[in-house]
Amino acid sequence: MTQGILIKNAYVIDPLSGIRGEIMDIAIRDGRIVEDALPGSEVIDAGGCLTLPGGIDSHSHVCGTKVNFGRYMSPEDMRAGRTSRKGVMHVTSGYSVPTTFGNSYRYSTMGYTTVLEGAMAPLEARHTHEEFTATPHQDMLANTLFDGNWSVMEAVREKDVKRAAAIVAWTLAAVKGFAIKLTNPGGTEAWGWGKDVSHIHDPVPYFEVTPAEIISTMIQANEILRLPHSVHLHCNNLGVPGNFRTTLETMDLAPPAGGDRQTLYLTHVQFHSYGGTTWRDISSKSEEIARSLNSKPQVVIDMGQIMFGRTTTMTADGPMEFKLYMLHHNKWSNHDVELETGSGIIPVYYSRKSLVNCVMWAIGLELALLAKNPWQCLLSTDNPNGAPFVKYPEIIALLMSRRMRENEREEIDPRTEHYVPLFALDRELDWYDIAVMTRAGQAKAMGITRIGKGHLSPGAQADVAIYPLKPDNLDPSVDYQQVMAGFSRTLYTIKRGRVVARDGDVVVEGANSTIWTRSRVPPEYDMGSDPEFTRKFDQYYTVRLRNYPVQDVYLPRGVCIETEAAL
Amino acid sequence: MNFLMTTGRTIRQGSYVERKNTAPYRDEASCIRMNPVDMFDLLVEEGDAVRVTGAGGSVVMRVRPDPMLPRGLVFVCLGPYANALASPWTHGTGMPDFKTVPVSIEPTTEQPLPVSALMRECGGMPYED
Amino acid sequence: MRIEDVVCPFCGCLCDDLVVSVEGTKVLSVENGCTLATEKFTGDHRLAHPIRRTGGAWEKTTYDDAIRETAEILLDAERPLLYGWSGTFVEAQTLGVHMAELLGAVIDNTSTVCHGPSIMAIQEVGHPGCTLGQVKNRADVIVYWGANPIEAHPRHMSRYTTFTDGFFVKSAFRERKVIVVDIRETDSSEIADEFVKVTPGGDYAVLTALRMIVRGKGDLVPATVSGVTREQLFRVAEICLSARFGAIFFGLGLTMSRGKSKNIRNAIELTEELNRHTKFTISPMRGHWNVYGSNEVFTWITGYPYAVDFSRGIAFYNPGETTSVDLLRRKECDACLVVASDPGAHFPRACAEHLASIPTVQIDPHVNATTHLSRIQIPVAVTGIDAEGTAYRMDGVPIRTRKLFSTGYPDDVAVLGRVYSLVKEAKG
Repeated sequence: MTQGILIKNAYVIDPLSGIRGEIMDIAIRDGRIVEDALPGSEVIDAGGCLTLPGGIDSHSHVCGTKVNFGRYMSPEDMRAGRTSRKGVMHVTSGYSVPTTFGNSYRYSTMGYTTVLEGAMAPLEARHTHEEFTATPHQDMLANTLFDGNWSVMEAVREKDVKRAAAIVAWTLAAVKGFAIKLTNPGGTEAWGWGKDVSHIHDPVPYFEVTPAEIISTMIQANEILRLPHSVHLHCNNLGVPGNFRTTLETMDLAPPAGGDRQTLYLTHVQFHSYGGTTWRDISSKSEEIARSLNSKPQVVIDMGQIMFGRTTTMTADGPMEFKLYMLHHNKWSNHDVELETGSGIIPVYYSRKSLVNCVMWAIGLELALLAKNPWQCLLSTDNPNGAPFVKYPEIIALLMSRRMRENEREEIDPRTEHYVPLFALDRELDWYDIAVMTRAGQAKAMGITRIGKGHLSPGAQADVAIYPLKPDNLDPSVDYQQVMAGFSRTLYTIKRGRVVARDGDVVVEGANSTIWTRSRVPPEYDMGSDPEFTRKFDQYYTVRLRNYPVQDVYLPRGVCIETEAAL
Repeated sequence: MNFLMTTGRTIRQGSYVERKNTAPYRDEASCIRMNPVDMFDLLVEEGDAVRVTGAGGSVVMRVRPDPMLPRGLVFVCLGPYANALASPWTHGTGMPDFKTVPVSIEPTTEQPLPVSALMRECGGMPYED
Repeated sequence: MRIEDVVCPFCGCLCDDLVVSVEGTKVLSVENGCTLATEKFTGDHRLAHPIRRTGGAWEKTTYDDAIRETAEILLDAERPLLYGWSGTFVEAQTLGVHMAELLGAVIDNTSTVCHGPSIMAIQEVGHPGCTLGQVKNRADVIVYWGANPIEAHPRHMSRYTTFTDGFFVKSAFRERKVIVVDIRETDSSEIADEFVKVTPGGDYAVLTALRMIVRGKGDLVPATVSGVTREQLFRVAEICLSARFGAIFFGLGLTMSRGKSKNIRNAIELTEELNRHTKFTISPMRGHWNVYGSNEVFTWITGYPYAVDFSRGIAFYNPGETTSVDLLRRKECDACLVVASDPGAHFPRACAEHLASIPTVQIDPHVNATTHLSRIQIPVAVTGIDAEGTAYRMDGVPIRTRKLFSTGYPDDVAVLGRVYSLVKEAKG
């Protein structure tokens, strides 16, 4: 470790520490924020520039089987974003699904130091971890898919919450996962027969459990295990006109928070806030969703903003991707994972000339502008589904500038305003809101503030982003171009006390950590020695139980958050 | 006589794939299977040597009857003997026409070469372990 | 010592239920494995030490010298090709890609003469697939097209498809229908409920006819299509349409024959159309145990599954141009590093001739056809026997192979790591 860094004259916003924009110094030593710098520390003069905790993405698809298949099947996307070797930087390819180093460099130069992969199939976890190692400038976490898990559905059917919790505990520890992810719960199993579920009380074929039962059981299991994050849910009926009802009903399933933390995290809610009955009369229901959100502190959402242009959609939601393919007829990949989940991929183009796309675009922004509490609505594009994450700065600018939104209004389908409330919203988010929505909120929602993520108080991990933006001399409402440029490229990105990126270039070889969770359970709840569980495992999986767990060698710098399960 | 040659894996080829210098590998990889009626027309019997010539070159193999093959189609397991006949042209796909190689076959008194000798013909230097 | 749940490093089935008895560094027996597995584990034909060719003779050399000379050859080359990679583990493949980038080399894997056309088709139309357990537990219709699993993937049928019972298929024997499509009868076609014999090169037309029937245009299908009768085509389409879960597996009979990637594209589009009626998946029968791993690694680092050319500074991919057979046919490469494969045996002769005319280095445990074409061969440990690392099964499921015992051989990572270090040093 170096002797340390002293950042002087930083314009600091650190929401978790209650700092809302003060010029101050930040001292770093041994990878942590400290009270005082050591003599001889490297001095970085921030010159009054915006200085934030390292960015955190709480829902992004960057590593693993389906992401890599997105690359594999898309040479056209690979050609659309390629860079040569430069200094320590490897060659990169790809625009919407960049190579692992491409993702890592682009995130890093935008000030992001932590990324949660939104969906990891347990059976293919080893793949995700291998790509994590090749994404070296961000600490990584993996949402682990349980939406179609046979053992879980059997436990749900038996109304055995404790067994469901035990299965989750065993699986997360086995695959080195971080949190429970449900993607179209029940729907991915139905897709094993080419079917889907149509609402949260629609039973899953054979298993005869409903999405609502799966969600509620998993919320309880999550709380029994005291996992740092809550259940992370991709609701049923993604992308279906009229789906806002499903989303509202789902939000009603979230029990009141136990303490200062959500019990349910709904991801990419833009895709779940549609009114109307068909693509012809689709409309925004962001107000209804926001109203529910504003009355439920136990729910946190992320936007799932779409941005115009080309991208690639990829999700564990296999049936949804097939429906989308039936609209686009471009190309379609699908990958069901035995006993666990599914996935699908198709490329899309979001057009300003498509009324549907314009409505979708508006909804994401509306959610952020209508959510009263920025801690409850985090910035995301469900990368790359709504747009590649390199569009975040543009989204920030749109949220901070009504004028920019008005300018965009001129460019999009003129009918849009009849279907969305966006242009009636005057609100312009401020720097603090943005700091919450891009790091502090994520850290809190994911439950990783305790390991020093998302804040800059002494003891925190020294993940810091310094942007070439001087909030005292800027009016984001007017200078939105500067806001966009500033958030695109840090002056400095510091990760675990090291400068990793400067002025758009990554300057060191990375060495990230993978953060995972383990809940200690009493021996009678250890599924690894449960006769029923192990018998079924070896009978129906095509991989032996002993070859399933991800070995420690795949996490060269693993960070385990241990909890004591209330079993 | 003209035939269409197809190729593929066989258990024996797979079994000896890490022992390419041995006689069992040579015997399997240089075996050309054909319909017994075609053998009759060619005036060859099981184990007889034939010279097989394709766009990529010419090689000696031994005949084995295979009634499951239709007439006009011969089968050789993938390996250096079959590939001595294949053209390196890929029609812009990267993949040669390994499965559909037009060949002509005639009886010969020559013997199939061991793999190392076949590689010598390509300009290599046999290594005998 | 009996070691259970051993992973077999032979074919793309990557069976992980073998029981291997070992004594010291000798494998005594293999249970659960097929013939290929037994031969692989009990094989004892290793190259004992590094060798190099000087003038007209082979001589023994040391690892140090062989590695140094390999680095020199690669550094001296203007258009090096790094070929093979499917017979080694992911960690070694990763090193290979990084080294290719640094050298400005072309790196290609054995897909280039295997399922390269499948990849090209997938890049046009996508790939509706699944893991093998999905087929095992659900499929009531299995189609093998241009594939002969009994010879090439001997346990595919007994572990994943035809002969194994699954959760929703309590009696495989009674509940699964098997369709085999091939240009010749094989051991696999013998056990089919429906054998569709196609005239060579006729697969594309047969696929098209099936698509017509599935799309309700069957009245336009002629009396025979590439040797297949109209009646049989309708029967096959009906079996597929009435499946609860159908799974197509295709082999090199489609990728290597006339039409190549277009055959695969047609098969994928048939699968897609069947999905409008029921559930269907399609999967390539990948050959080498870790060829899919090389595709995965190449893709996450470079963006492309094979045939990646770094000579322009960026990663460039154009099958037909940057593929090994084409590069060698054009006599473009001036050095070649072969890792864990045997192009001498599996490329057309013209390519082997070019390999013999340039400095070719091989890193491989065994003497093979390429040995005779090489200047240097460096023996390494066999992954899955005396080395371990990640492999990707044909369906993308990653499994860590086991090391059963230690021998004196370094593994691929140890050797490639040292070559890479020398290259890095020289390149600054």
